[in-house]
Amino acid sequence: MLTSESETVAQIEELSGQRVADCYQCGCCTAGCPIGAAMEPPPSKAIRLLQLGRASELLASEGIWLCASCLVCGTRCPRGVDYARIAEACRAIILRSKVSRVDPDTVTPEELDDIPQQAFIASFRKFSV
Amino acid sequence: MKFSYYPGCTLYTKARNLDMCGRKAASRLDVELVEMPSWNCCGAIYNTGSDDLAAQVGPVRNLAKASQLGAKLVTLCAACYNVLKRACARLNAPGNETERERLLTFVEEPFERPVQVVHYLDILKNDVGWEGIRARVTRPLAGMKVACYYGCLMVRPREVLEFDDPENPQVMDELMRVLGAEPVQFDFKAECCGGYLVVNHQPVAQTVSKAILDNARTWGAEAIVTTCPLCQYNLERGQGVKGPRGQELPVFYFTQLLGLALGLTQEELGLDYNTRDPVPFLKAKGLV
Repeated sequence: MLTSESETVAQIEELSGQRVADCYQCGCCTAGCPIGAAMEPPPSKAIRLLQLGRASELLASEGIWLCASCLVCGTRCPRGVDYARIAEACRAIILRSKVSRVDPDTVTPEELDDIPQQAFIASFRKFSV
Repeated sequence: MKFSYYPGCTLYTKARNLDMCGRKAASRLDVELVEMPSWNCCGAIYNTGSDDLAAQVGPVRNLAKASQLGAKLVTLCAACYNVLKRACARLNAPGNETERERLLTFVEEPFERPVQVVHYLDILKNDVGWEGIRARVTRPLAGMKVACYYGCLMVRPREVLEFDDPENPQVMDELMRVLGAEPVQFDFKAECCGGYLVVNHQPVAQTVSKAILDNARTWGAEAIVTTCPLCQYNLERGQGVKGPRGQELPVFYFTQLLGLALGLTQEELGLDYNTRDPVPFLKAKGLV
């Protein structure tokens, strides 16, 4: 069954507990985001897409996979919108359709030796089914 | 003073230096940390999905077990602290009774009392007290300029953790002053190190780690102090690209500098486990 754009926005709002209409596009989140320069769309633009009902565009973007949930955006937001939760809700919708972003089987033995477990567990839980 | 202690997975392996000095330094301060029996992984990240109950079961089981041992559970890893404290807040949130009831059907252990998740730094500041620590310093870290790096997990979300100022945290800075070191003010105290993006986006993680190191150098830091195994990893690796002043910055766990000031031996400090050898720096400072 096809889901309409407005239904997807509603689903993202429910999963994230955020209301995209609360955002007044001041851009504080994007300015503070440490990954903002590499993230497309950056937080404020991503929220704008949802305000315009363009949810599928955001779901297809790279930006939602670059958020490391550092929570600077939500901490500084004057309207109390937590973009990290919105990005997580978008990822959840994709991951629940059984599409992984990170495949644990591709980790090399050298990486396993080197990188802390904490990073693997976090990455697999955020980015794979 | 006696507390139950939750080490977590990384402190048993790649961050054993964070753990071993933490335990030894605590005993020098007459704090007994009793490792919680049969703890399980905290999950490494807090899952924010409103319907994601399964992700809460792991941390909540730890909390239930901790409640049978005492009123406080001490954590040392920044990630475990963040995840367990947020899971605890969600579990006890007013109006969340239905979710709480459903969640607890997945946890065999009953809650015996409300349990509070605290960080080791909390214990140092509020239970031992800065004066109690100062009195036990045998090797002051004089002449050491350090950048105290808190990262994300210790300070955000502010309303849940209530740990410190999320823009300009101070607890580690205060501790470093007590130990005789000189904390420098710098701009990136609570910026993200790139975290777990290092698994699949290494260049991104390296760019943000390098920005932290460059800023710390600009403000005159000679070393970085962290609380998190992943920050420590990213900041050690982020030095692959040399900054404006070129020099490497040793990256210590705060428990290593605490242990050093309290007179632990070089072996007890676990310096061999640091990837960037900090011994030449400590020798130059006359501290080992």
